[in-house]
Amino acid sequence: MNGWHGKILKINLTDQVVTQESVDPDFAKDYLGGRGWAIKYLYEGIDPRVDPLSPDNMLIFATGPLTGTPAPTGNRYMVVTKSPLTGSLSNSNSGGEFPTWMKRTGFDMFIFTGKAPKPVYLWVNEDQVELRSAEHLWGEKVPRTTDLLIGETHPDAKVACIGPAGENLVLMAAIMNDKDRAAARSGVGAVMGSKNLKAVVVYGTKVPTMYDEKGMKKLSLEISKEVGVGIKAGSSLREYGTAYVPQVTNELGILPTRNFRSGQFEGVDLIDGVALKEKYLIRAKPCYRCPIACGRLTEVAEGSPYDGAGEGPEYETLSALGSSCGIDNLGAITKANYTCNELGMDTITAGMTVAAAMDLYERGYIPESDIGKPLRFGDADTLIELLGKMAYRQGFGNSLAEGSYRLAEKYGHPEIAVTARKLEFPGYDPRGAQGMGLLYATASVGASHMAGDVAYVEVFGVPEKINPLITKGKPALVKRFGNAFVSIDSTGMCVFLSVRYIFDPDINLWPTRLTQLMNLTTGAEYTPESLIQAADRIFNLERMFLIRAGFTGKDDTLPPRMLQEPLPTGPAKGYVVKLDQMLPEFYALQGWDENGVPTKEKLAELGLSNMVSL
Amino acid sequence: MQISVKLLATYRKKLPAGTKGSTCFLEVPAHFAVRQIVEQFELTYDSSNVILLNGQVAEPDQILKNDDVVCVFPAFAGG
Repeated sequence: MNGWHGKILKINLTDQVVTQESVDPDFAKDYLGGRGWAIKYLYEGIDPRVDPLSPDNMLIFATGPLTGTPAPTGNRYMVVTKSPLTGSLSNSNSGGEFPTWMKRTGFDMFIFTGKAPKPVYLWVNEDQVELRSAEHLWGEKVPRTTDLLIGETHPDAKVACIGPAGENLVLMAAIMNDKDRAAARSGVGAVMGSKNLKAVVVYGTKVPTMYDEKGMKKLSLEISKEVGVGIKAGSSLREYGTAYVPQVTNELGILPTRNFRSGQFEGVDLIDGVALKEKYLIRAKPCYRCPIACGRLTEVAEGSPYDGAGEGPEYETLSALGSSCGIDNLGAITKANYTCNELGMDTITAGMTVAAAMDLYERGYIPESDIGKPLRFGDADTLIELLGKMAYRQGFGNSLAEGSYRLAEKYGHPEIAVTARKLEFPGYDPRGAQGMGLLYATASVGASHMAGDVAYVEVFGVPEKINPLITKGKPALVKRFGNAFVSIDSTGMCVFLSVRYIFDPDINLWPTRLTQLMNLTTGAEYTPESLIQAADRIFNLERMFLIRAGFTGKDDTLPPRMLQEPLPTGPAKGYVVKLDQMLPEFYALQGWDENGVPTKEKLAELGLSNMVSL
Repeated sequence: MQISVKLLATYRKKLPAGTKGSTCFLEVPAHFAVRQIVEQFELTYDSSNVILLNGQVAEPDQILKNDDVVCVFPAFAGG
């Protein structure tokens, strides 16, 4: 096979047995790779009603056919499992260097089942595969774990690991790779911890073969040059990273502020990309072979109470640990970011959970005695202190470790948690971006922008600007973006480059160039139609996983704050999410019945009838 | 009348020297259109930029009122 190695590594942690499996070429084509391959194996491999933290859950690391090829940004991997935070799917994505080196082991996918009797790590050096003891690493933070593992394997090995948060089954625990990159969302690190799996270490030289290597290099170079032209013309991601975004969302009135009480933050000038560049930026840090380089290598100098060094913050972190908590101290936000990275936690859910706790406290719903001190919006030092307690489940941190929904529910006010499927919202208040509201309510994983980020058009004007406040046309837009993002996650590409340079430059997001990249790489003779149909197949299989896990159309909803409380200020003042104006049309476009279940006809059209017969 | 011009991300460099933050204030005559503000800062009115008037997508010929806010940033994703 080309592009795909066509080989999967299956690791039974209970019995400490590793086996290899070859992949059927028709399956490879029909499910693309990455997120697509993973859901097929998860769907067939587990009962969707299993306890996500039990040995019966499956943890999958998956690269795509374009991972490790010359395709610009073709350097992503997915972590797919059943989420302990949401009870739904996890589709967590990361870049850095690990994904390309994982692909170079000669395997496309690692599937972990069971639970190791004692802490272990997996070391894959091409065909040399070992489960080794990790007892000496248990309790170590991410940076030291990474250094120690490189020391005891190979100087050029790449490491994905959990920190103390994952070990302690904290529901927002991430899997960190290359120290500062995260497959962050919905508790994938807790699943890894529940399996006593501390780390996955990879090295290899098996660069995937390509069907037309010359053609692939030519097209990849052409795309990289276009990115270069864009950067010279004033594109902001290289210069400011995503940290330029708070100003944009604040202007639109959708920057999450004080647990979504409002969408405009008076301290925005203090936490944006310009301030970050002036104060703490060392340099832009790209993922492997990325022409964009949105990553931020930063340092808060010694002498500051917030001293440290690492990567970040990026936009979502500025929103969750900053404006959402009412915090305008950029040094403190950066320190909080480093803390999450070192302990291995998702900055979005961690920040939004503290924001919910602040909201609950200020309303008098959490007694001060439970926290041990006051917890008001704007209290940066207490935020940092609580992040540490969260990762170790100490004191009030044990309540925070369950995420905002369970926290708010515990104190009798679940309506304070701003979540969908119990996953905390990212940095776009959907009352001022209606399409994002529909996305959050319907995405397989819960409220994630990475499930089909229509903020591209509603906020950023890419590929064109569409009024964020209207609902007309949004169901079709969310469907198209959803499928486009499935194709990106499954092929191994990064969304930042893909939406702008790989899809046709209009809101139809037609995958002309992605099809070319896939055909040059795999030779599998995709058409844009067959590629999108494969994405649709994957998305609908995910939906069937949710249905079998017990979700219904009633779960395709948003918290009352979004549906009933209008935004108080800004251009979206007076707006709530008009979900009922969009959801029925969205179901109809998907080929789902009025309860949100894919119809028999839809499943037959996608070749899923036999798979999902219940 | 006075309006505000907010230039974000890389366009911040186009603000007059000495501007604090992302916003400058301008005196403009009556019947001044959004397009004229954009051109005054040597920016183009096309799909490479997002141009907002008081947070809403602006039309080039919209006439400015006192206290209006024009915001321009390069169209590039995202968060």
